[in-house]
Formats: sequence, structure tokens, C-alpha cells
Amino acid sequence: MVSLERSKKKAHLWKKAALHFLLCFVMGFFTGFAPTSKASIFSGQATMSLSPTYSPQAQPVEAFHQEKMQSFNRSLLVETEQAEEEHNHKASKEMILEEEKEEVEELDIRRLVIIITPTSTRNKLRGVLLRRLASTLKLVAQPLLWIVVEQQSKEESEVSEILRKTGIMYRHVVFKENFTDAGSEMDHQRNIALNHIEHHRLSGIVHFAGLSNIYDLGFFEGIRAIEGFGTWPIAKLSANKQKVVIEGPICDSSEVLGWHLKKMNNLTDATPPPLHISSFAFNSSILWDPERWGRTSSVQDSSQACNSLGFVRKEVLEEEAKLKGIPTEDCSKVLLWDLKI
Amino acid sequence: MKQLTALQQQGRRSNSFRSASSPLDATVDGAIKSPATVFWLLLHGLCCLISLVLGFRFSRLVFFLLFSASPSPSTTTIYSALRTTLPTSTAPERNASAGGGGSRVVVGRHGILIRPWPHPDPAEVMKAHRIIERVQAEQRSQYGVKNPKTVIAVTPTYVRTFQTLHLTGVMHSLMNVRYDLVWIVVEAGGTTNETASLIAKSGLKTIHIGFNGKMPILWEDRHKLESRMRLLALRIVREKKLDGIVMFADDSNMHNLELFDEIQNVKWVGAVSVGILAHSGGSEEGGLLMGESDADEKDEKRSQIPVQGPACNASNNLVGWHTFDTQPFIERSARYIGDRAVVLPRKLEWAGFVLNSRLVWEDMEEKPDWVKELDEIGKDGEEVESPLSLLKDISVVEPLGSCGRKVLLWWLRVEARADSKFPARWIIDPPLDITIPAKHTPWPDAPPELPTSTEKVITIPENNEKRPTKSGSRRKRSSRSKRKHSPKVLDEHVSTKNAGDN
Amino acid sequence: MRNWRWVLALLLYFSIFWRIEAFKFHRAQKTERISGSAGDVLEDDPVGRLKVFVYELPSKYNKKILQKDPRCLTHMFAAEIFMHRFLLSSPVRTLNPEEADWFYTPVYTTCDLTPNGLPLPFKSPRMMRSAIQLISSNWPYWNRSEGADHFFIVPHDFGACFHYLEEKAIERGILPLLQRATLVQTFGQRNHVCLKDGAIIIPPYAPPQKMQAHLISPTTPRSIFVYFRGLFYDVGNDPEGGYYARGARAAVWENFKDNPLFDISTEHPTTYYEDMQRAIFCLCPLGWAPWSPRLVEAVVFGCIPVIIADDIVLPFADAIPWEDIGVFVAEKDVPKLDSILTSIPSEEILRKQRILANPSMKQAMLFPQPAQPRDAFHQILNGLARKLPHDRSIYLRPGEKILNWTAGPVGDLKPW
Repeated sequence: MVSLERSKKKAHLWKKAALHFLLCFVMGFFTGFAPTSKASIFSGQATMSLSPTYSPQAQPVEAFHQEKMQSFNRSLLVETEQAEEEHNHKASKEMILEEEKEEVEELDIRRLVIIITPTSTRNKLRGVLLRRLASTLKLVAQPLLWIVVEQQSKEESEVSEILRKTGIMYRHVVFKENFTDAGSEMDHQRNIALNHIEHHRLSGIVHFAGLSNIYDLGFFEGIRAIEGFGTWPIAKLSANKQKVVIEGPICDSSEVLGWHLKKMNNLTDATPPPLHISSFAFNSSILWDPERWGRTSSVQDSSQACNSLGFVRKEVLEEEAKLKGIPTEDCSKVLLWDLKI
Repeated sequence: MKQLTALQQQGRRSNSFRSASSPLDATVDGAIKSPATVFWLLLHGLCCLISLVLGFRFSRLVFFLLFSASPSPSTTTIYSALRTTLPTSTAPERNASAGGGGSRVVVGRHGILIRPWPHPDPAEVMKAHRIIERVQAEQRSQYGVKNPKTVIAVTPTYVRTFQTLHLTGVMHSLMNVRYDLVWIVVEAGGTTNETASLIAKSGLKTIHIGFNGKMPILWEDRHKLESRMRLLALRIVREKKLDGIVMFADDSNMHNLELFDEIQNVKWVGAVSVGILAHSGGSEEGGLLMGESDADEKDEKRSQIPVQGPACNASNNLVGWHTFDTQPFIERSARYIGDRAVVLPRKLEWAGFVLNSRLVWEDMEEKPDWVKELDEIGKDGEEVESPLSLLKDISVVEPLGSCGRKVLLWWLRVEARADSKFPARWIIDPPLDITIPAKHTPWPDAPPELPTSTEKVITIPENNEKRPTKSGSRRKRSSRSKRKHSPKVLDEHVSTKNAGDN
Repeated sequence: MRNWRWVLALLLYFSIFWRIEAFKFHRAQKTERISGSAGDVLEDDPVGRLKVFVYELPSKYNKKILQKDPRCLTHMFAAEIFMHRFLLSSPVRTLNPEEADWFYTPVYTTCDLTPNGLPLPFKSPRMMRSAIQLISSNWPYWNRSEGADHFFIVPHDFGACFHYLEEKAIERGILPLLQRATLVQTFGQRNHVCLKDGAIIIPPYAPPQKMQAHLISPTTPRSIFVYFRGLFYDVGNDPEGGYYARGARAAVWENFKDNPLFDISTEHPTTYYEDMQRAIFCLCPLGWAPWSPRLVEAVVFGCIPVIIADDIVLPFADAIPWEDIGVFVAEKDVPKLDSILTSIPSEEILRKQRILANPSMKQAMLFPQPAQPRDAFHQILNGLARKLPHDRSIYLRPGEKILNWTAGPVGDLKPW
């Protein structure tokens, strides 16, 4: 009798236990459906899985790592929530930036500068001038990406050997076409570099630096401040001449008011605008994200595909309102010289 | 009891339950006993927790099954951590395991994980650059020169149109030097603020001294003056007992940065090859002269550029000097600055030599006997051609850069005409005497009047009667309207705008 | 007995729970290595520690095939040819089969190339079978152990499964006749039917002379953060993407093409080898198989390999401390690659570079002509020597048969 009762009691106990389990299960089931679940499970997974994959090293590495990943997920969380609430892409990005800044306070975050340099074998001084430009660019604060273009050659070129020794982060882009005209070769090279930027969707401030250019280092900090387009005075000099020509904007603060007149001979309407190739810089996103700049996708048009340079020139000329003069003190200081030899 | 035994075995399998070793019967019998109750309570709680987790997992499973079923099998799928491990409905996946060892070999289509957050992360870019810097520093310390000597660079200069350009070039080379460096800048006609502010930008240790005497206009006189300026610098080295390697970095030089590593090998006097970029003056008429004169035949690649420097025999001993053959150009050689003719180098340029600074020290103990006293030379107005004048015996010179085969610096003398003007410190101060009428928009429109042959340095396209700000706003408006119309109809635009302004 | 149900349910829960956890425990397990100090093992000299007997086969199994297509000498699977040449003149070779520890059958199964130079291993099973038939009927040694003291070089993608499609290869499994032999193969994926237990994993063949010719000074500053040249999508074979490289390479491109730190492209520049020498990290993601020739190149050029291939089994993992020289990133973590790499402390990076600079590591990755001490040939021999002495149990009793000569697809049983 006792055993029967006991077994009854036990059955009751089992039932109760099962009920509890079921309740818990259901609870767990619904927590799984909670809205933030995606991020939370992801964070759990990330911290757990990362350590075994990259962990044979010493303990501190791992700790460092996990800490990093956690903050990472935090920022992700922020981002997803933001995205749900409002589609303000910029705001969330800035928040993440803020957070990252807190994490790595000592890191001075700067905008990427992309320097494009075409090089032609026609220029006998190519190697020498490339070295001179390289020693200037090496002194520019990071991040900087140097895109150097050159015609493909069978044996190892002088250019790649020089570049390799500079220690600058560069991309050496080559092309195969032959050109008889030096000007169109240069434009082709610049287009190739722009295509590289477009293909990779690199984001930064693009500037064309010819080999004959000489820079004050302040110049590069100046162009980092550009949002859309920027322009500045450039001094053109040549050997044994008396004349120094200054081209470029006249500004009030950083607002472009007018232009220094360039020496213009028989300028007719047909000729392209005499905009010096090194006298402007622009945000590369105009190449691959024109909508962001409030224009129809013109670069992607087939006609533009091989002439990004023409597109950019046109943009700079039309975007006067967004044009920023450099340096911001009335763009009165010459920071860039073009010395034709 | 069977099921309970099974439960217990189940418990055994799990590590967390292993501690509970009390026999089952005892637990059932002694249900009132406190340790057993505690155990059961614990077990109960644990199972509750497990069910909770299970429920959670299960819901995730369901969630993902639902979730992954909806999107079309596009190549890009939303990033999800569980994606690769869970079977998707879009593609056939098969678990192929060897001997059922829990293999994760999944054959079939996988999602392409694309993270939703923006990138690249600027902070990470900076971190990466820091890593790169660290790695490069390590490479230098591992393979670079051990116990490097200080580099003492001597640069004669004077204020002129091209000074900023040339001096900036040399300055950037020096700023890249990884060793201790002292830069002695000797300025003809006394020190100026212009030069001082320029070299201050370098952040290098500089000694800026003036030299009595204006830079002459004739090339020959200039060479002489520059030699005296360099000797002045050497005297400063002697006075201050600067210890290191003296090099002559003229502002007409362009450097291969390897030069600075190479000169560390010098014991007393070294010589390097200088590429001579003889320039014929105006850019219209020819530019560089190369390929015609004596080049180093051993290095065909460089044969285009004439080289001045040490000449070695097959066994790497100094046998003589390559000099720039001036004969073909002597007729066309430039006499004064701005002369549109070839500027020729001296017999041997100072820039091609490096010295151990102890050579010029006074009362140096182990000073070699083949060196002259600094005060002895150039005393009687005799010309000091090159640092070789310091030596009694030229054979002691150590040829550098694979015995002169490697060109480590270049010489290029280009100047504007001596009377050329440039804005002071290159700050554009709009001149008041504007004679050219207003010209507003930038490049697209042709100016109504062209600045003709008047050699105006700077022209300001503002109407001088109007205040800049005012006209600026107007101009902007007009340019906006221009965009609305058609940017290509330039003539029309010019006329409308002129009408609007005047 | 109503409780039955509950207990059953509980059991079910537990089993599900454990299955989910199972793979996690699995991942936590670290790759096992025999030796701690890698350098020592790499320095081993196999001479005197083993003797290899090389079967003399008709030239149709090796030399004739090579004559037909000399490209076999330069492709990634050329190890089978060079290993043969190496053994013929190696001091470990013995002409007396009675004293041999290992038997080697020189058969070039991977040297049947498409016009594009890709190996087509369709005839390989029949060829291998024919060779084994030949040695088992002409010599007594195969039948003695049914191949347990024989080794075969099968460098193709899925080794002795002899198929270039992974699914088909898994279906086929390792050739039944080779089930007792020791395989020397390039392919390495943990718990894969095509990776035999006890197989020796070798690096793919990379041209040593060419690499030597492109060596540049170690002073060249490393200015590329992450470098990769190769396919992201194999459009020809996998137009929709996701099969090729299990989607990992596509993920690399999609996530990092816009990152200035990632020098990644499909174009192979002439300066490829030089660029690797000025990069800090070189990506070595899986392709159709988990390994890639970049692994060899990265080690030789001192670029830290970033290995993206889950459960990869690396070459000579018992001698090379891969964890110390490389970075392992799980395929699902590819989108976080930049954070993972930038958060490695620079001291750790320098340490990896220092270990990578060890010449014996580079040597072990190469098959130089002629062979040099400590090269990959020697590492293979070292691997074989470490398996000695053979267990007595591998030798069969008279009359005992284990292998089934009639197993496998009918196509494989046809004469070659």
C-alpha cells in the first residue's frame, strides 16, 4: 500500500517536474523569437567561435581579441537598431565611429587620400621624379593610397622597383594600349586609375599628382578636409622664364568666389576647359555612388565607362557650390608647384 | 525503475552529473532525507535550465528554417552565424562523414557572407597602418645599419623664385632619413625669414647661418661662392665638433633614399656617382641632354643619363673619375642665370662626396696625415673645386654605391630668370593694379578679353568696383542658373551673365 | 508506466542538445602535433632511418606519360614525378627488396591533362589498379601485407578518390586497393573520406627556381597589409557562386574590395612574387580543395599565411608549427577578417615573421632540383621513417585476404 501511494506520489512529482520543464522550454522558445535575438545569438556565437579558431597563441591575444569582438557586436547592435528605427545611414555610422574612437583614443582617424600618378616612358626623368614624389608622399600622414599607372612591360620595370623600396602603400596598375599622343596617354592612365577606384569602390579624396609637381606637406592635410570637391591655387613655373603663372580659385574663407586667370590664347568653345589636372581633388564616391551626390548614374553610362576623367572634370566645373577652396584661409597660399622641365 | 536507471545513465553520460554518485534506490527510498531532496531539487533546476536552453535553441532552429526559406537563392545572402552549419532549403547539402566522426564536410552551396555594417572601419585602417609601421621599423632595425652615425647635411641656398621648390625637395629627402641628422643651411646674403620659415617646417635639427655676399648672376661666380659657403659650413662643423658624416645636399639635387644608408659605410672620405641631368634651358627647345656623353657602360640601364663620379676597375679599386663631358655643350653653355642654354656641372660636384666630420676637426688625435687643415685651403683666393682639395692624396677616397655603378643622386640645375617675380612666401596678395576687366566663371566661358602679352603674374577676375562677397553671391546664382539651362551653350551664357553683372 | 513518455521526451531533449553542442566541442579540439619544437624535426636526416625499394615498372606507367605531356613537370601536382626521380638516386633507396622498410610504385596517375592544363583523373583508377596487379603478381611483397608497407604518391585534389568534383570523389571513396597503403597526398580535410588515416600531407609543387629568381632583399619594406591574387568566383564551373571555395573567396571580395588595406584582385601581375614579399598577410583561402599553392608561396616569401579553410589538414603538420606562423580564420568569420587581422598585436606579428624567416620552414615547402637537405622530399621520408617499425599485425597470415579486388565502380575494373 505504501509503495502504491508512494508511486502515485512519485507520478505526481514527475508530472510537476515535466510541467516545469515544459514551461521552461516554452519560455526559452519564445525568448528565441524576441526581436533582439539575432544580434544576441550572434554575439554569443562570435565570442565562442573566434577563440578556438585563432587561439594557439598566448592568453593576452585571446583576451584582446574577445574584447574587441564584443565591442564589435555592440556596435553592430547599435547599427541594426538604428537601421530599424530610421534609415539614416550616416547617423549610425557616426555612432559607431564615436564608439570606436572611445576604444582607440590614441588613434587619430583621418580620411583616406588617394593619389593618382601617371608615368610615361616618354619622360626621361621618370625614375628621378618618381623618387622625389615618393619621398614627399612617404611623409604624408596615413592613410594614403598611391595609384601609379604605367604601360605594361615585359621585363621588370624601373617603376615597380622604385615603388617597392618606398614603403608607401601603393597599387601599381598597368595597361597594354599603345599611344602616339602623350596627352591622350596620360588621360588614359588617369582613367585606368579611376576605373580601379570605381571597381574597388575605394572611398577617399582623389588627387592627380603629376611627376612634375612639388608639394608642401600642408597640402595633404588640406585636401583631407574636402567633402565633395576642392580646389586650390597652383603655381606653374618653367626653367629660365621670368613668368610665374598662378592658376586657381579666389576665395573668401573657403568659399570659391572667382578664379585667377590662366593664360589663354585662342580659346574657343570647342576646346576643353583649361582646368589644370592637379588643381582639384574630389571625393571618390562620386565615381561609384553618384546618387549620393544627387545625380543620375552617369558614370555607369556606357559612354562614361571609359572616360571617368571627363566625367570628373565636368562634375568639378558644375559643382561650384560644393567646391571648397584650399587652404581655408582664403586659399591664398600656394602649396603646390608644377615645374615643367 | 527501468526508466529511472536509464535517466541515471543519461546523467552519467553528461559530465556535469558525474558527481551525483549516490545509488538510485537510496534516493527513491529516502525521499524525505535532506541531501537527496537537495539533489533532486538541483536536478530539477538543472533540467529546467536545460529545457529553457533547448527551447531557445529550438526556436532559433525554427526561426532559421523559416528565415532561410524565404529569400530567393541569390548569390548574396544576409550574414548569419548559423548559416553554414544549418541546412538551407535553397541548395542540396550533404553530410559526408568518414566513419561518423562528426565531420563538418559540407558539400553543396553555401551562402556568401556579407556583413551589414559599414566598412572599412577607419579606426582599423589606422591600426593596420600602425602595424605596418611597426613591421617596417623592425625590418630596419634587423637589417639596417648598426650604430649609425649622425648625418650632417650642408645646403647652400638663397631666396629666389625656385628656392621653395628646390629646397622643399631636398628637405623631404632629409626628412625621410632614419638616422640622426643635422641640417646646416647656409644662406647667401644673410638669413631671411623666408628661408627660416621654410626649413622650420622640416622639424629637423637645423643650423641656419647667413653668408656675407649676394649670389652672383654668373654661373661661374656662383659655383665659387657656393664652395665658400660650404667651407663656412665645414668651419661650423669644426667649431661645434659635430660628429658624423658630412654630405653636401644641394638644393639642385634629387636623392635616392638609399644614399643615406650607403654613406654610413664611409670611414673618411667617400665618393658617389651623380646623375647629371643637363638641362638646355627653355622647355620648348629640347629639355634634357642625355645619351650623348660618356656613360657607365657597365650599367646599360643608366646609360641614358651621364654620370659623374668614381670609376673603378674590375677588382673594385678606384682608378679615376667619370666626368661630364662638357665639350659638346661648351658653345651652348649657360653663362648667367636664366640664360637659355645648357647649365653645366663643375668638374666634380661637391654633392658627390661625403666626409667623416672628424677630418675637419682641430687637434684630432688619430687624424690621418693625408688631410689638409681647413684653414689652409682657399686662403689665397684659390678656388676650391671640390672636397678633393682637402686631401693631399686622392687615392684614399672610398668609392660608394657598388663602386660608383649605382647612381644614388641626381643633379639638375634649373632656375627661373634672375629677375622673375613671385609672391613673397607664395602667399597670393591680390595686387591692386588690376587692369583686366571682370571675369567670373571659371573655365567654361571664354573671356571676353584676353590677357595679351602683358606679362602679368597674377590677374584677378573680380570686378574691382564691386565688393568680393557681393559679386560672389551673385555669381553663384548665375552659375546655378547656368546649370539649369545648359552648360554647353557657353556663348549665350557669357552674354547673359555679363548683362547681369554690368 | 506513464513516466516512460516523460523520460523518453527528456532523453530526446538531451540528445538534441548534445548534438548541437557536439560540433562546438569538436571545434575546440586543437590540431594535434607530434613534436613541439618544429625546427628539430625539420632538421632530421632520413638517411639511415629507412630503406625504400622502388619497383621497376614498364615506362608506360611513368616516363611515357610524361613524354606525352611535359606540362606535368610544371603543374601543381608535379611532386609525383619529382619524388620518383628523387628516390631513384636517393641514398635511402635499396635494391634489395628483402631489407626494404617501404615499397614505392612509380606511377604518374595525375599526369593526364586537359588542353587547359587541368588534370583529368578518369583513367587513374584503372592505371593504379593495373600497376598494383603487376607488382602483386611479379613480386611477393604486396601480397605479404596487401600494401600496408607500400606508399603511393597521389597528389591530386582529392587524392586517391580520383575525381575532381568533391561530391563524386566522396561517392567514390578511396580506391579499394589502396585502403591498406600509406598515401602521400596534397589534399587535406579533416574527417574526409578522401583523406586516409596516416596519410602524409605534402605541399603542392611550386617552381623553386622561378621563386628563387624573384627573391628580393629582406630590407624591402612591407607595405601591403593583406595581399591576394586569384579567383573570387569560378564563373565557369560555378556561375551562381557559393559552391566554389564554399563561398569564402566570394565573401572576401564582397567585403573587402573597398578596403584600401586589402590588395586583392583577380589579375596576376608580373610582380606577384615580389608583392608577396612586401605584404604582411597573404590570404590562403580554400578553392575547390582546402589547400592552395599560396600556402607554399607565403611561407617561402615570409608573408604570414591567413588560412581560410575550415578543418584543413596542413602539409607536414607534425613538423611545421602552422599555428605559430599562420593565422587561422574560420570560413564564417571572413566578414570580420579586417578586425581579426588588425587586432593581432604587432609583437605577435613580428614573432610569426621571425619564425617564418627560418630557412628550414621554406625548404620543407619546396621540391628543388636536385634535391637539397631538409626539402620536401626529405620531409616525406621523415614522415615515412616516423611510421617505422611496422606493426607486426600488418603482415597477413598465409592465405589471408582482406582487400576485395572486385570492389568499386565497374568502370574502374576495366583493364588499362
